[in-house]
Amino acid sequence: MGRPVVSRARDAEYTEYVAARLSSLRRLAAVLCADGQRADDLVQATLVTLYVRWGRVRAAAHPDAYARAVLVRESIHERRSGWARRVSLGGKVIDSPAVVVDQDVVLDLRAAVAALPARQRATLVLRFYCDLNVDQAAEVLGCSAGTVKSQTARALAAVRRALGPGPGSGSGGPGAVAVEHPVSPGGGGGG
Amino acid sequence: MVESELRALFAQIAGGEPAGGGVDVALARRRGRARLRWRRAVVAGGSVLAAAAVVAVAVLVGPVRPAAGPPAAGPAAPRQFSPLNPYLSFGWLPAGNSLVAGGVRPEVAYLIGGRSALSPLTWNLVAYAAGQCHLIGPARELKCSTLALGGLTVRITGRAPAVRGHRAFWAGPFLVWQYAHGGWAELSLPLANASPKLTSAAKREAARRDAVKIADHVRYGAATPPLVFPVQLTHLPSRWRVSSVYYLPDAGVLRASRFALGTGNPNLGADGGLEYQTNLPYFQIDPASPKGSCYRYPNRKNFSEKSAVEIINGYLVVLTHRFLGAASAYDLCSAHAGGLALYISQHGAHPQINLASLFRDHLRLLGANPANWTRKPIG
Repeated sequence: MGRPVVSRARDAEYTEYVAARLSSLRRLAAVLCADGQRADDLVQATLVTLYVRWGRVRAAAHPDAYARAVLVRESIHERRSGWARRVSLGGKVIDSPAVVVDQDVVLDLRAAVAALPARQRATLVLRFYCDLNVDQAAEVLGCSAGTVKSQTARALAAVRRALGPGPGSGSGGPGAVAVEHPVSPGGGGGG
Repeated sequence: MVESELRALFAQIAGGEPAGGGVDVALARRRGRARLRWRRAVVAGGSVLAAAAVVAVAVLVGPVRPAAGPPAAGPAAPRQFSPLNPYLSFGWLPAGNSLVAGGVRPEVAYLIGGRSALSPLTWNLVAYAAGQCHLIGPARELKCSTLALGGLTVRITGRAPAVRGHRAFWAGPFLVWQYAHGGWAELSLPLANASPKLTSAAKREAARRDAVKIADHVRYGAATPPLVFPVQLTHLPSRWRVSSVYYLPDAGVLRASRFALGTGNPNLGADGGLEYQTNLPYFQIDPASPKGSCYRYPNRKNFSEKSAVEIINGYLVVLTHRFLGAASAYDLCSAHAGGLALYISQHGAHPQINLASLFRDHLRLLGANPANWTRKPIG
């Protein structure tokens, strides 16, 4: 029946918070999933988790970081479940103006990133979309900084292998197994 | 470098996505609440859950001499409230405040007044049925035991002005008074810690004056706007009744927004009986929103939730089954069914009715026009 005042206040706080962050959560989910429908599902699942853990969210030093961590972990969890493997991860071609000029490279890159294991993809997203350093990414993923470094290195190597030699393929190319340069100012290089 | 290309790719993907997509915050709240209920049920079990719902207001004040008005004389409080009769109404609220919600179940009737439904600063009035509350010791505590809630114990902190000549006390943020012979009521003030405006002594005193005035003007058992239901259930087992209602003021009526069915034998079940009875349907019904949607669980391996989409009576419905042992649940959701958004759930491993069958054969949708709503939810 009717919820007590505390619950209603909680709902109001929660709603105000997630309404303000919906757009950024949705974008992050889209980057993680490369599929609009799955991104919706992912954000929906994240919102439910945030509601359940609302006490912890509002008590967190950085609620946005907490919410982001929930979403990233949901995405890893979901992709491990097997459901994701039965749907196309290629996604649709975005019609918005491309930042990268060469669409072929973009498509290859999308495919390469989509083919990565969930944790590696999440690592790349945290490093290169969220611009987190190694330590911050490790906190989100619940692993050590060393693991983030090695996951980043493996992911980049896999992407380079998939792209093959040529423009935009970086320093790796087929057979590359390690990244030789630091991947961001905040963290270490490849593992 | 591939890193810069990745940055560009991610920015491109993010920039090409709609802001909100198909995400439904209201649905997330409902699912979250349901998950919390299941979690409580799984962890605590029904009876322990009820104990967990006990509200203890700890205020450091000793006993108070019981001199604040005589015990209530006159008519006795109801032994039970009828869930189809709101029973309570506010006769006065501070300027800018109005009724935002209310509810009834057999042991309590309650009202919430405030500036808006979302405001955290609300006046919460609860009237307990006869025999539910007892004054302990020399006005030391008021202890209310309700079947579903486990109880509310407030420690009395001081005498309050008599309410219509009946004894009344302050109990921390509560004003409690005997509204009729055998029946107690409580009014919680807008919580001081939630409102900087109420932190000063002057503001608190003003809130207390308002509380006494609100209590003085509460009407018991008087006529209220009609409590009406946007659906009607038909051909149900004869023992089934509406066991609790949560309503909202809407277009001059009190619209039942949530209600539960019971069989007359309260089962504290998964949520302690606060909202629903185990293995019996619980309805959440509101006017449909254009953006409303129903969440469909993807069929994932090793997940305890399974959803199926069906067309029933011409309406798209999502049927979900959650396999959680004793805390299993069945849901039926339809975001647009004759102008209404319905969410029907049935908690328990032994559902009394199939929800698809309930929707198809027993549910009359009365639309979004209040003129068509009914006072008889079970026809």
